[in-house]
Amino acid sequence: MQKRNNYTEIEDFLADESFQKWILLKIDEEGWEEWTLENRQRAKLVEDARLLLLGMKVSKNQLSKAELSDALSATWKKIAEREANFQKSVLSFKRGISRNWLFGAAAALLICFFSVWFYQKDSFSTDAIVSYKELIEENNEGLVEQTNNTEKSQIITLSDGSSVLLQPNSKLSYPKIFTGNERKVYLSGEGFFEISKNPKKPFFVYANEIVTRVVGTSFRIKAYPNQQDVEVLVRTGKVRVMPNDLLKEIKNEEVVLLPNQALRFTRKELTFNKILNITEDPILTSSTRNIEQLSFEFTDIPVDQILKTIEQAYQVEIDFPKEKLQECRLTTSLSDQPLPEKLKIICKSIGNETNYEMNGNQIVITSLGCN
Amino acid sequence: MSHIIKNKLIDDAALWSNLKAGDEKSFSVLFEKYYSDLISYGNSLSPYSEKVQDCVQDVFADIWLYRNSLQEYVVVKAYLLSSVRKRIARLFERDHIFRKAASTESIEFLFDFSIENDLVEDELTAERVLYLNKLLNELPARQKEALYLRYHQGLNVEQIAEMLDVNYQSANNLLYRGLLSLRKDWKGSIPLILLLSTSVL
Repeated sequence: MQKRNNYTEIEDFLADESFQKWILLKIDEEGWEEWTLENRQRAKLVEDARLLLLGMKVSKNQLSKAELSDALSATWKKIAEREANFQKSVLSFKRGISRNWLFGAAAALLICFFSVWFYQKDSFSTDAIVSYKELIEENNEGLVEQTNNTEKSQIITLSDGSSVLLQPNSKLSYPKIFTGNERKVYLSGEGFFEISKNPKKPFFVYANEIVTRVVGTSFRIKAYPNQQDVEVLVRTGKVRVMPNDLLKEIKNEEVVLLPNQALRFTRKELTFNKILNITEDPILTSSTRNIEQLSFEFTDIPVDQILKTIEQAYQVEIDFPKEKLQECRLTTSLSDQPLPEKLKIICKSIGNETNYEMNGNQIVITSLGCN
Repeated sequence: MSHIIKNKLIDDAALWSNLKAGDEKSFSVLFEKYYSDLISYGNSLSPYSEKVQDCVQDVFADIWLYRNSLQEYVVVKAYLLSSVRKRIARLFERDHIFRKAASTESIEFLFDFSIENDLVEDELTAERVLYLNKLLNELPARQKEALYLRYHQGLNVEQIAEMLDVNYQSANNLLYRGLLSLRKDWKGSIPLILLLSTSVL
């Protein structure tokens, strides 16, 4: 009790609950008044602490009994809703496997479940979802979300030099800086990924029910919460696709995709369909974007034309000194390179004094002309 | 007093472990005990009181739903405050999708300290308290939040460090610097008054 004899700073007093009680509630259980008067130096400290406390008021907003009990029942209601939601989907899913006629209903529920799950990553109580929740939480530090609400695609550059062309009504969550041995991003909607090569740090895209793993390639993922299928289409390199841990109890297969192959995950049936010839698939061909059709193999092509190709592919605007670069031609292969890498290679090929700067969809190239 | 504090802690620990075992009554008791405090704290982080209510209720709902995976020994109050802070930060991130640097650091303590007017008896005190209050409210948001958590919520430095996602030393600095700059300004500007009041006492 006499630890207060050693108090030398205002802080010591402020943190003493009994002191607070004396000053604020005038309840002097420990003889503070007497103790204070014993010593002049002490009295000064006490007075300082008292004034500080008086100026540091926090209004106690004590809710009424009725408000409290309303809040409590609202919380129980939330709990009941979430428990019911979860049990319903799991139960009917289990039944659905044994009885075909229930399968449709179960799948429909699962779809609801997943689309809600994607937006409220942490609202359900299952072991599988807890692990996903933990995943997000683990990554939560510095996780940035970009949403494309415009009508044009948006280019996102990641910290490892990879680029993602995000389509309208889509969003991507990614860490500001990739740390650790894995690169993980979360997609809702559609994006075209060009991943910088790094075999030591595989790159994962979590999109609805599936996880796509690559070390460095380009591919497109389409995973809108409100559409029946999830698609992955590969342009270069090798891509592995597997179901999210959530579905692990159901099946645990991994599909390997090579260039110009695709995979369609049918959410209704929970099946993977590999598509070997994408040109014969009407849905895939109709949704092919500029960036996938354009060739980035250039042989003796004027620089302004190369830049125009990039503008079209990535829906960016490039500002460059037209006159100075008028005579410049390049032979280069830029396929399979993320946008920053493409720009770097172009600048390097033109000459030493050529640099680029990128700001959202605006790119500025400065140059003194080519070698 | 100190034994009361101890009892309070034992109470919380018992309630917590009962809750983990599925006791609804313990859940309700903890809810009623801390709900108001959490709402006040939440309101100092976000101006949208309805969303704050939602967040606090979700924190409790989570506790119940995930009670099996909760840690055995926690300081309940610190855990609750920290969960509320995290949830509001997450909500904030979701609502500010175009902000590039959304993280737990981006939510700001909006709260202003007020004055215990009822306890200020004379004009001299009033003047000084008013001045102190002004200095306090001019502190950087994080320093203010650290002071609030330390002296109003009774958290220790370690718990504050964990909540604000900084190391122990930084949390200590937040508190210390807050008071230090206060003291400097304060003493620097009214030494005479101080002397006077000391002699009065």
